Amino acid sequence: MSKKIWVHAELSDGKITNVTFELLSKALDLAKEMGDGAEVEATLIGTGLDGEAGRLAEFGAKKIYAADDPRLKLYSPVTYAPILADLASTHSPEIYVFGATAAGSALGPTVAARLKTGIAAHCVDLQLNGEKKLKALVPSFGGKVIGEILCPGKIPQMASVKPGIFVKKEPALAPKAVEKVDLRTYAKLLDAKALEPVSAVRRPPSGLPLNEAQVVICGGFGVGSQENWNRLEELARLLGGAAAATRPAVDEGWTGEHTMVGTSGQSIRPKVYIGFGISGATHHICGMNESGVIVSVNRDEEAAIFQVSDFRVVGDGSVILSALLNAVKAEME
Amino acid sequence: MEYNVAVCVKPVPDPKHYDKVTIDPVRKTITREGIPTLLNPVDKNALEAALLLREKHSGSVTAVSMAPPNAAEILREALAIGADEAYLLSDRAFGGADTLATSYTLFHGLKKIEALRGGKPFDLVLCGCESADGATAQVSSQLGEWLGWPHLWNVFSLEETGEKAFSIKTKLENGHMEWNAKLPLVLGVARELNKPRFTSVMGIMKAKNKPLTVWGREDLPDAQDTYLGLKGSPTQPGEIFTPDMKRSGEVLRGTPEEIAARVVSVLRANGVAIGG
Amino acid sequence: MHFFEFTEEQKMLRKAIREFAEAEIAPKAAEWDEQDVCPAELFKKMGEIGINGIFTPEQYGGAGIGFVGRTICLEEISRYSAGLGIAVMTHHLGIYPILQFGTEEQKKKYIPDLCSGAKIGGLGVTEPGGGSDFIGQKTAAEKKDDGWVLNGRKCFITNSHIADTTVLTAKTGQDEKGRTKLSAFIIEKGTKGFEAGRKEHKLGLRGSVTGDLVLTDVKISEDALLGKEGGGAKIGMEGIGEVGRAGMSAICVGILRGCVEEAVKFANERVVGGKAISKLQSIQFEVAKIRTAYEAARLLTYYAASLKDAGLPCANEVTTAKYYSTEAAVEASKRTMDLMGGYGIINEYPVGRFLRDALASIPSGGTSHIMQVIMAANTLSGFQA
Repeated sequence: MSKKIWVHAELSDGKITNVTFELLSKALDLAKEMGDGAEVEATLIGTGLDGEAGRLAEFGAKKIYAADDPRLKLYSPVTYAPILADLASTHSPEIYVFGATAAGSALGPTVAARLKTGIAAHCVDLQLNGEKKLKALVPSFGGKVIGEILCPGKIPQMASVKPGIFVKKEPALAPKAVEKVDLRTYAKLLDAKALEPVSAVRRPPSGLPLNEAQVVICGGFGVGSQENWNRLEELARLLGGAAAATRPAVDEGWTGEHTMVGTSGQSIRPKVYIGFGISGATHHICGMNESGVIVSVNRDEEAAIFQVSDFRVVGDGSVILSALLNAVKAEME
Repeated sequence: MEYNVAVCVKPVPDPKHYDKVTIDPVRKTITREGIPTLLNPVDKNALEAALLLREKHSGSVTAVSMAPPNAAEILREALAIGADEAYLLSDRAFGGADTLATSYTLFHGLKKIEALRGGKPFDLVLCGCESADGATAQVSSQLGEWLGWPHLWNVFSLEETGEKAFSIKTKLENGHMEWNAKLPLVLGVARELNKPRFTSVMGIMKAKNKPLTVWGREDLPDAQDTYLGLKGSPTQPGEIFTPDMKRSGEVLRGTPEEIAARVVSVLRANGVAIGG
Repeated sequence: MHFFEFTEEQKMLRKAIREFAEAEIAPKAAEWDEQDVCPAELFKKMGEIGINGIFTPEQYGGAGIGFVGRTICLEEISRYSAGLGIAVMTHHLGIYPILQFGTEEQKKKYIPDLCSGAKIGGLGVTEPGGGSDFIGQKTAAEKKDDGWVLNGRKCFITNSHIADTTVLTAKTGQDEKGRTKLSAFIIEKGTKGFEAGRKEHKLGLRGSVTGDLVLTDVKISEDALLGKEGGGAKIGMEGIGEVGRAGMSAICVGILRGCVEEAVKFANERVVGGKAISKLQSIQFEVAKIRTAYEAARLLTYYAASLKDAGLPCANEVTTAKYYSTEAAVEASKRTMDLMGGYGIINEYPVGRFLRDALASIPSGGTSHIMQVIMAANTLSGFQA
């Protein structure tokens, strides 16, 4: 029987998340490398899944195991994990990957614990070693160190990967093959009251999602004030991009945590990244070093950010920001 | 009503110094020389949540760590901050544990503490949602599974709604989830949950007389070797390296206007449309 | 055996206070200095974590961890804000005489609030005639039926405008040989006729309030007398000698550590001609001098405090420590400025403030000249190694 690589598909407001497609794209590459007809399959939990299951097939999932029930509308480790663990026990995938999202970061290890297998957390790359075993690259010390994690003796070999690490490729078109999970055996779990999800509240996205933007204007502590921050956001808007932040800028209250880039925020890979007043702590750099072109502005010529930049501007961030904003406005007229 | 809360804590190298972390090229180990050890920052939020519950009602706060012997220092700190007692699970047999083995060891530590209290179970186990060094963020979920308790991660709001019942909020990328939960629970808490208190001098003095128990392998007889330490860890570490992210950059000089013009051309050259 | 080593508790204390200082003091220290405001509201928080009553026994609401512990607190606070350091050290100076000379009733009445952070303490001795002319002070207390009436003016009083409970000295007549008799009194803020007067505009140690206390027919009851009538000189001198000067010394240890840390940071980060200036021997010599000054001041200061904790005489050791540490802090902050070149005088860097604070530390609690006079007298009259 051919080996299988599984991707758990996460939903957000009933729609498949971007990270799922990124993972499917990577899984297809790994399957090819693994050879012997290895196939990519997906797991999906929620309610009213028909349409979204089709999307998974479009991106190359040969088979989709779908647990479809109104009581599964909202994520809960109590209901999701047993279903996924039982599926994995039954079908024995070689590799099983999760998006390291807020839900996936908890669900992945929960499933792993039920299966008594290993899971590499927040991976920055997934590779196969000489024995076609999963070699997951995991950052530690805020990204200063990358370690390889193997799971030699157990299956599935599990991993979670943050959004934005892998590139979502074009649809790979597999025929839609959905296997519905028989949920009758889970009746007790689905009706249990010890832990109940009540609601998922999502902010309507303001502007472009950070990890889809082609231009990201990022600001750090050196931006200096809310007023400057507003101009930074204006610049991002004018360029059709998104504004992002480092932890210190979030701590200053200039912007929300959802714009944070780095090991404890998002990973981004825009075509152009322009950073203002960012010192370049490792945990930020890890989240943006895959950007196409990196332009940095900092008044400290020794700032670590310059080490990873293609274009370096030593100067006052707010002055350069104003000049750039004016230049872009002039170009637009 | 009383709350008996266990708080899992971990010693970590001070995150302020992570830029100093290097890899010994010969031994392939991480050199963290000269970096002070701290109580993992977000574990303080977990401890604070436990102390607030104990102060509002009654009960106890127990700090537990699986770590090398020198972690007694951070447990002493947990006692100084306000925990009533502390347990350090420390043995070579526990070393090299991944998150599954770590959570398994903690699980047996908690079971043993409960047994010592005449089988009285903990109501709540709190962990920081992630450690500053490894940041796998997996231990709280996996500990929940070993205990067979419901668990939530990234908790930023915890409100009592009734006797041992809570309304809980967890973080999402672009919002949050709300939950109704009854104890027992394992929670991985986020730093937004509360503002941890400072260690007081009075607390330091009191900590001297609080019990700090160290348990080794033989103190956890119910634990099985298959799940302990490096050997019991399904994941195994391979090579480690420091990523080289350096780029050879060009310095842009000139007046702010000249620099802005260059940046605009860089944007254009990379396919960013400006002005439609 | 180590000649001097912190106990486990003292190490924990240092870590705790450092965390507090990094979170609550470091980010605001420059602002307090620039605006010359004392963050009196911080006394509440410092009270909660035990800094205010650090050497006060637990029975009066203190932490009971002694004078080495106090020195740790002042070093850690003054690493970031020597201005707040002197406010705290003066608060201690307000507690100490009550603790040492007060009746049980007075201790119970005043000290718990001073420890908890509910109230701030102060000590008023110096007068316009000069602090060293101790016995020449003119503030007078006159005995009236059921109490005392005080008139006069104190000047250069730290915490003048923020203290709730102040210990003051005043003349209460003459002894049989015609010498001025001084007595000490505890006066509370809001007592009629007792007002804070002029506020000084200082070179350094800004972020603490220094000013006049004006007494106009201040009526206080009999039980406001601290210690024996005529005991005021001893009360004032012991506090200043063993607690005030020791505190100034600790503050300067904090400034010196700031110098070391700022010098290291700058020397490692500043690159000239392709390499960090810390690679230059000329810079290394300076760093070595700054470090040595810190270590020496630290040893003198903590040693004196450990004698105090052991209940041994320490006035001479405190005097030495105060003299050395304050002068060393001036020299080291100047060195650090020199090392930083043009950056040294830019106010975004704290070193200029360190120098101003160090200079202002010299006259506080007795100038270097006074320290030398005391040490010389002590040495000439019978030096024994």
